[in-house]
Amino acid sequence: MSVRHLSLPLAVRPARRDRLRFLLTLFGVAVGVATITAIALANGSVLASFSASVDAVAGKASYTVSSDAGSLPEETLNRLAWLRGIGGAAVPAILDTALTKDTGDVVEVLGIDPLSEALVREHAVSQSKEVRRAGAADLSRLAQLLEPGTLVVTEPFARAHGLAVGSELGLVAGARDHVLRVVAVVASRGAAESSAGSIVFTDLANAQELFGKKGRLDRIDIVLPEGLSTESRTRLEEEIRTSLPEGASVGRPSRRTETVERLVRSFRVNLTALGLIALLVGAFFVYNTLLVSVLRRRTDIGTVRALGASARAVFGVFLLEGALLGVLGSALGLGLGILLAKAALFAIGGTATQLYVPTASPRLFLSPVTLALSFGTGVVASILSALAPALEAARVAPASSMRTGSLETAKRSSAPRFALLALGLFAAAAVAARQEPLAGLPVFGFLAVFCVVAGAGLLAPLAVTVAGRLPQRPLARLFGPEALIAQASLQGSLSRTSVAVAALTLALSMMVGVAVMVGSFRGTVVRWVSDTLRADLFVSPAGGKSGASFGRLPDEAIALVAGVPGIAHVDPYLAISALRNGAPFTIGSGRFEVLAANGTLPFLDGRPAKDVLLAARAGGEAVVSEPYAVKFGVTTGDLVELPSPKGPQRLRIAGVYSDYSNDRGTVSIDRDLFQSLYGLTGASSLAIWLAPGTDPDLARMRVLAAAKGRFALRVHTNVNLRKEVLRIFDQTFAVTWALEGVAIAVALLGVFHTLLALVLERRREIGLLRVLGTSVEGVKKAIRYEAAALGILGSLLGLATGAALAHLLIHVINKQSFGWTIATEWPAGFLAAAFTGVLLATLLAAERPATVAARTDPARALKEE
Amino acid sequence: MGANVAVEGVSRGYGAGASRVVALEDVSFTLAPGSFTALLGPSGCGKSTLLHLLGALDRPDAGRVLVAGRDLARFSPGEEDLYRRRTVATVFQFFNLLPTMNALENVRLPLLLDGASVAKADARAKEALLEVGLEGRERSFPYELSGGQMQRVAIARALSGSPELLLADEPTGNLDSKTGGQVLELVARLHRERGLTVVMATHAAEAAAVATSVLRLRDGRLEPRAS
Ligand SMILES: Nc1ncnc2c1ncn2[C@@H]1O[C@H](COP(=O)(O)OP(=O)(O)O)[C@@H](O)[C@H]1O
Ligand SMILES: [Mg+2]
Repeated sequence: MSVRHLSLPLAVRPARRDRLRFLLTLFGVAVGVATITAIALANGSVLASFSASVDAVAGKASYTVSSDAGSLPEETLNRLAWLRGIGGAAVPAILDTALTKDTGDVVEVLGIDPLSEALVREHAVSQSKEVRRAGAADLSRLAQLLEPGTLVVTEPFARAHGLAVGSELGLVAGARDHVLRVVAVVASRGAAESSAGSIVFTDLANAQELFGKKGRLDRIDIVLPEGLSTESRTRLEEEIRTSLPEGASVGRPSRRTETVERLVRSFRVNLTALGLIALLVGAFFVYNTLLVSVLRRRTDIGTVRALGASARAVFGVFLLEGALLGVLGSALGLGLGILLAKAALFAIGGTATQLYVPTASPRLFLSPVTLALSFGTGVVASILSALAPALEAARVAPASSMRTGSLETAKRSSAPRFALLALGLFAAAAVAARQEPLAGLPVFGFLAVFCVVAGAGLLAPLAVTVAGRLPQRPLARLFGPEALIAQASLQGSLSRTSVAVAALTLALSMMVGVAVMVGSFRGTVVRWVSDTLRADLFVSPAGGKSGASFGRLPDEAIALVAGVPGIAHVDPYLAISALRNGAPFTIGSGRFEVLAANGTLPFLDGRPAKDVLLAARAGGEAVVSEPYAVKFGVTTGDLVELPSPKGPQRLRIAGVYSDYSNDRGTVSIDRDLFQSLYGLTGASSLAIWLAPGTDPDLARMRVLAAAKGRFALRVHTNVNLRKEVLRIFDQTFAVTWALEGVAIAVALLGVFHTLLALVLERRREIGLLRVLGTSVEGVKKAIRYEAAALGILGSLLGLATGAALAHLLIHVINKQSFGWTIATEWPAGFLAAAFTGVLLATLLAAERPATVAARTDPARALKEE
Repeated sequence: MGANVAVEGVSRGYGAGASRVVALEDVSFTLAPGSFTALLGPSGCGKSTLLHLLGALDRPDAGRVLVAGRDLARFSPGEEDLYRRRTVATVFQFFNLLPTMNALENVRLPLLLDGASVAKADARAKEALLEVGLEGRERSFPYELSGGQMQRVAIARALSGSPELLLADEPTGNLDSKTGGQVLELVARLHRERGLTVVMATHAAEAAAVATSVLRLRDGRLEPRAS
């Protein structure tokens, strides 16, 4: 007999009879697959749309020249003039972000040089005075259109903002309002496809003015003559490199995408690991369901074996069943995942500030590779989970009519073996936790998490066995004979009950681990915020809908704010982003003397901020944030190298301070040094100290009133900003909570499903209990006790495992991913609530099975056989 | 010690319409306290149905079943549970031990359900196991026992609570003739020693021979009594 002939009687028909359990299993697999799919798709879509924008803006450029820190000096262009001589071109551009005045949406602004633009980017004008006149227009005409104070918009942008040729558009850039007139609309082709059309084009000089970048360029796109050999291209690249001033570098345009990819990698890997754990719960379900099927169908399996079916065929049937569950569950999961990803992208709502990528509305990109990988992961996990039950089935002897009981008791002896295996896994976890990160990722940390979680699952049979050995006298005295019935049943169906316990353990441990980590993190951030956010007011350029702030406040704005009555000190913070070995980091600056006198910066070695900052200012030294120190493996006394237009600057590190606002890592230097290196004015934000006795809210109103009509500012009071910081923190971890909630719900469904299966399977025994004089209430009580035992065992194991996970998350994974030191805090209230919550939920899950059990008619149950 | 039993004009059928099966039809008889009656008849004649009625697991469509003078149909659920714990005990063809409990735990369960302490129930259960010749097997699980041994555990369980009425439904139906004979002897001995009323359903005339009287059932009707 072949697998084909056996599938129907052994797998398909029983599954139909046992619909609820199979549906739950499918759902379990689906949730896991949906989670990893959604994370991968959302992340991939953001990156894909970013990458598409990068490509669209790069046009025909082979290389892009950009600054390693901040922007390029305009004279860089002259140094590349020789390219024209060989039939190439160097095309300058400003690329920055502004807000629309009407809707507060983020829009990219590309400042172009009308004369050379056509060499690199394509623009298809679809609506302009020229078009109306001539019937067609090419780029050279478009170039002539761009006068000061005008811009060109894309068709989708024109539609979204109700614009046509001649209308005016308000933009907020560099904290200032600007009004520009639309002179043309371009079709969605070429550069207009960037950011899904949320891009406008203006004249280079115009853009420099808009963003306070006079004499500066953001990028120079290099077009090489066609038909060059790879060799000569490489040679040209080298020549371009040598032509460049200090602090500028040349690379493929896609370099920008790679940088962003690096930025979001830790974030993505962390989320994906969480998703994989959800999938682990799903895999447990597959294992459980198939094992139950095998146990139930032992007699049938024995019969078909006696009729000539090979052990291999029986094995095949159950493996196939597992694969089928995997395929259906994963397919369902893909669907759910796509919906989830859509919701996530919608939530990102035009700005992916969490992912540090301010691109406009990323569109869902259904990457076939991602879909196939998620699907494959789900199927493979299901097949792997089906292996053990399938082997079990293959071992059934022909015509054996062994009862379930015999197998269960035989299984009991495997509890110690599992426990030993668990110990081995824990030891492996301990070793893995001590390893260095791999390529900047906590690969071994995640390995340790998986070892701990799998080990805890393997401890479940031992836990159930121990519960089965609890002394009977006190149990019976405290809870009545029903407790002994529950105890025996728990132990008698060890393979099922321990899987239910394992699933609960798994889900709860992840929740506890993440809760302790997030709670500790939050506590640490709260303390850090109260230590560092000492200024009375904080001023930054308005950020519109995105919540993030773009651009710089001009010097006039700083002077204006400083002149408002009641303001004592102003510390302008100015930052640019820079690259070190391809890894992005931030170079920040402030007035160290103001910070030393008024604020605090918590240094890791406990030295007073005042001493360190004043010494750093005097000696031209830098201070670095903890994430920077961890990421680049440096510490106090080492040298940091900062790229600058004046050539690489080597600065001594005067101290390492804790910082939870930025995981790229920050090197901070005094404002004077910064300005002499980078020649930048203005500020990214201002910290303001008020004269004693000044009311912050009043001062805030005064600042806003003074700026009205001149600068678009966002002003937070201290109280306000602290709240805002925590709001952003909580928002960041909302996804995590949702995932944990799903895992717990799935595990509780598992308890429900285990109990219901046990009740249905033990109709005869329950009937017998009734014959022996157990009351209806007694039967219900026994089921509830069993549920409570599952809940208690799962909770205890889950809490213990969760504590271990919290340790790994805090000290290994977070430290290695982001470089943050987090002080562990045990949220006793939350843990107690989780424990009681799970217990109550398991009891609730027992209600329906208990009712089903109580309905058992003893006479009928006994007649069945 | 034994209870008297009176079955008066009892009928019980299953299903409705064309597929209706009448399992018992107008059955009446009385049993004296301490009697040992065999219920003899082929498979499907209604023996189990009758035993279920006597065990208060089922109620008749018509007629009354009185045990120790009490009408079983009038029991409240609580009284029913109590009756099953104290008055009646049953032994089945398939032994019906709880597979998740060992011999001792199986035997003491009815005692615990009746409110005995674990210590007291253990002592009584050990005695009962000794009585059926299973000393030393207290910790064995059902799957570790032979059919005959399992049936002995079931009998020990039935007798541990000192019932007044013992119902045995084909107790030898799943045993070879030698072990079957030993089990029958055990039932007969306990009946003699304890003086409880015993009703044993069987389809085998040899098994019925150990009883002091025989009731013959055929298609749900009682055949005229032959002593
Ligand atoms: N729950 C039931 N539903 C339908 N028919 C039943 C049920 N229980 C017994 N019967 C029928 O009643 C008849 C008597 O059954 P039973 O008392 O089990 O006979 P016996 O024990 O003598 O073999 C049989 O025909 C049987 O099929
Ligand atoms: Mg029968």
